[in-house]
Amino acid sequence: MILTLPTLAEPQHFHVAEKLLFIVLAAASGYGFWRRFGPILNRILSSKKDADFRLFPIGRRLWDFFWQVMCQAKVIRQRPLPGLAHAFVFWAFCAFALVTLNHCAAGLGLGFLDPTGWFGRFYTYLAGVFALACAAGILGLFIRRFLVRPKWLGETLSWESGLIALLIFALMATYLAAFLVPDTGVAVRELWWAHTLVLLAFLPLIPHTKHLHLVLSPATIFLSRGGFSRIPPLNGDEDFGLVAGTDLTQLVSLQAYSCVECGRCTEHCPANNTGKILNPKEIILGLRSYLNALGPRSDEPLLGKYNSQEAVFECTTCGACEFQCPVGIEHLPILVGLRRGAVNTGAWEDQHGAKLFLALERGSNALGLPAQERDKFIEKNALPIFDGTQEYCLWLGCMGGYDPKGREIIVSFVKVMNYLGTSYGVLRKEKCTGDPVRRLGNDLLFEQLASANLEALAQNKVKKIVSICPHCVRTIQEDWKTYGTPPEVEHHSEFLARFADKLPRATNSASFVTGHDFSRAENADKTAGALAPVPPRNEKIVFHDPCYLGRYRNVYDEPRQVAALAGELVEAPRNRERSFCCGAGGGLAFLGEESGERVSHVRAAELAATGAGVVAAACPFCNTMFRDALAAQGEGAPQLLDIAQLAARGLPQENDI
Amino acid sequence: MKIIVAIKQVPERDAQVRIDAAGKWIEEADLHYAMNEPDAYALEEALQQKEKHGGEVVVISAGPERVGSTIREALAKGADRAIQIVCDDLGKRDALGVARLLAAAIKTESPDLVLTGLQSEDLGLGQTGVIVAELLGLPHATLILQVEKTETGLKVKRELEEGWFQTIELPAPAVLTIQSGGNKLRYATLMGIKRAKTKEVRQLSAAELGVDGAPVVTLDEITLPKKQKSTQMLGGSAKEAAAALVEKLKFEVRVL
Repeated sequence: MILTLPTLAEPQHFHVAEKLLFIVLAAASGYGFWRRFGPILNRILSSKKDADFRLFPIGRRLWDFFWQVMCQAKVIRQRPLPGLAHAFVFWAFCAFALVTLNHCAAGLGLGFLDPTGWFGRFYTYLAGVFALACAAGILGLFIRRFLVRPKWLGETLSWESGLIALLIFALMATYLAAFLVPDTGVAVRELWWAHTLVLLAFLPLIPHTKHLHLVLSPATIFLSRGGFSRIPPLNGDEDFGLVAGTDLTQLVSLQAYSCVECGRCTEHCPANNTGKILNPKEIILGLRSYLNALGPRSDEPLLGKYNSQEAVFECTTCGACEFQCPVGIEHLPILVGLRRGAVNTGAWEDQHGAKLFLALERGSNALGLPAQERDKFIEKNALPIFDGTQEYCLWLGCMGGYDPKGREIIVSFVKVMNYLGTSYGVLRKEKCTGDPVRRLGNDLLFEQLASANLEALAQNKVKKIVSICPHCVRTIQEDWKTYGTPPEVEHHSEFLARFADKLPRATNSASFVTGHDFSRAENADKTAGALAPVPPRNEKIVFHDPCYLGRYRNVYDEPRQVAALAGELVEAPRNRERSFCCGAGGGLAFLGEESGERVSHVRAAELAATGAGVVAAACPFCNTMFRDALAAQGEGAPQLLDIAQLAARGLPQENDI
Repeated sequence: MKIIVAIKQVPERDAQVRIDAAGKWIEEADLHYAMNEPDAYALEEALQQKEKHGGEVVVISAGPERVGSTIREALAKGADRAIQIVCDDLGKRDALGVARLLAAAIKTESPDLVLTGLQSEDLGLGQTGVIVAELLGLPHATLILQVEKTETGLKVKRELEEGWFQTIELPAPAVLTIQSGGNKLRYATLMGIKRAKTKEVRQLSAAELGVDGAPVVTLDEITLPKKQKSTQMLGGSAKEAAAALVEKLKFEVRVL
């Protein structure tokens, strides 16, 4: 008994009238598609050219295309189950290319795939498997959107999404059904026409909905800027950033039209999660609405009807949005671009912002303190001055040089460097690297700071910098490139991790203390004072990944290696690439946080809830933000220490960290 | 309304100032310079008046070539044009000498209002604006925090001691010396700097203005104050010591 394999049935021939009808409908469908897509393509292409766009090196682009588009890596990794469902739908579409081509060719009597031949049979079966997976996937996604209703998909139900889901399901069903009918007869013909009509109905719908990403997103990912938060340099005397429609570049317009409205960006936004009006998805869709209404040649300000200045200045530039986006939208250059447009033209009037800018116009640091304060700190701690002979220049930064907590980190780090016998020195004078100013979009001030610093570093013959602040590291390594060649720079976690095996582990866990001044270990002995003695806590350490070290620099393991010298590590629920911002970035440490919950408090609560006795930080800004937030939690809140302080604990010591 | 703002370029606040070998001035070689802060407030007031009433803001500054950068900053913040009085011996002129230079240039402009900072951050004489007013034959008022234009001239608010203020009315044109803190300063923008490149900066010399430099007040010497340190131990119980401390801080050191 021979098993007869099911074969994909195809109508053997069509009447001339049917062929004509098919051609007419196909043309109408194509016209419907172009009528909507043509203007969109036109708006993208007639936007300003990206002056800094380089097709080469193409390797990175090809890899991103392969990994993110073909393998759907980001889609799956960040939201696994729905991501996988979507991947099935996408892969089915890819697999169906030949099938669809053959289907249409068959309508004209030119079918080339023989479903009884070995290749045809293999291919139609393969497509069948994908069709099953796709049908299952799309059904699952439909249930999720319409029955489960996760909040980041929005309040209102999207009927267009439902319609598209139905059409995709119908395409798969009509294909699979063709395995179950004979080659001759009415059924196969009806199925063919059903499949064709669904296809021709689907095509013109694509540019009308977010399903435009089918066409655009592979290009968006291929053409993306690359890197992370890659802010383009301003181009020429009339470029002040994203002020009006005329400033939108082709890449920005392409990205605006690629948004699939999945809401992953908003889901992870610290501002949005704490009640601010900023919604990264709405920023991108706002640009899309602007382009649809006014086009890329308009002089209307971008921050007006479709996007608000208030929202744009609530961003901490943590990058969670850009990191999550599965279609290659780069939110950070857009947000910073919008800020540039407001600040470079003076349209942004904010008293804290002005205060920061004026402090840096007149002085050397973002805190507005006289440079003598830094000189006193250097003198008091006998820090060696960099004279060109040492290997490393220790960059203090504004926090390390002027902030009390930042200074403690420096003192601990210096202890470790001395123990290791590192050759280092500090510069006599430092100016702020300009990070807050760069993220707020003040290019005038940033150019002044970057250029002055680059000149000073060259004069002092600095070859390698080590810094305790991820913001300094990022700004020096990446953002200064526009104005010169920065020296090598690394973060102190990378430095310490290299020597982790030379550093002794901390043995006495009893040295961890609680109390109001959480990081001052010397207060542990002063139990006779106002604070009642508290039993020593556990020695678990939770490390908070700073945005500018983690997502921006891809450094996750090194600080953990260093923190592990002092105890056992536990992880926060949102960690590594999903780390939740402390709230200080984007210049926001210098502005007022006017509405909603405080980002730092939300994160501090999450960290404390892990039950750890110590919160380990690797950024002086995170340190400052958590200090107040943890203090607000009162007695019993975990101690807050930088990884340098943790590393220093293990050193043979005079017990005075 | 045509407003003239007289601005001085002074060593920046963080500068390590050293006295020169002759003991008569400071070492200028390694210094960085910035706009005098009270003059920045004067400029801000002028720009706000222009925004309210229209007109033109002209900045004027005397000094060596490096003064150009401060002038450009003023133009970037919104001033319409500038007059630069190039003179390399500003340090050797006294307040009368500087005022003569400024007044000679200002006279040619016939302004409706002249603003300048209350005093400079380096010498702190507080005289130049007042002398300019006298030389121009104009009424003046000092320590100004707010300026309002009225039917008959100006209404201004002056800052006095101990939290007291005084409101005066005076006719225009007039000279006002502006106290810091009356307004929020605006920051320099990229757009401002780019636009500043096309704004007019007219250069004049002391000779062209027909002003000679012989000072009536000469600077004898500059010295550092002698540092003293004295430590007093306050005894008694915590309460007594605290009370004694408060008394000393109030009446001896006078910081409370």
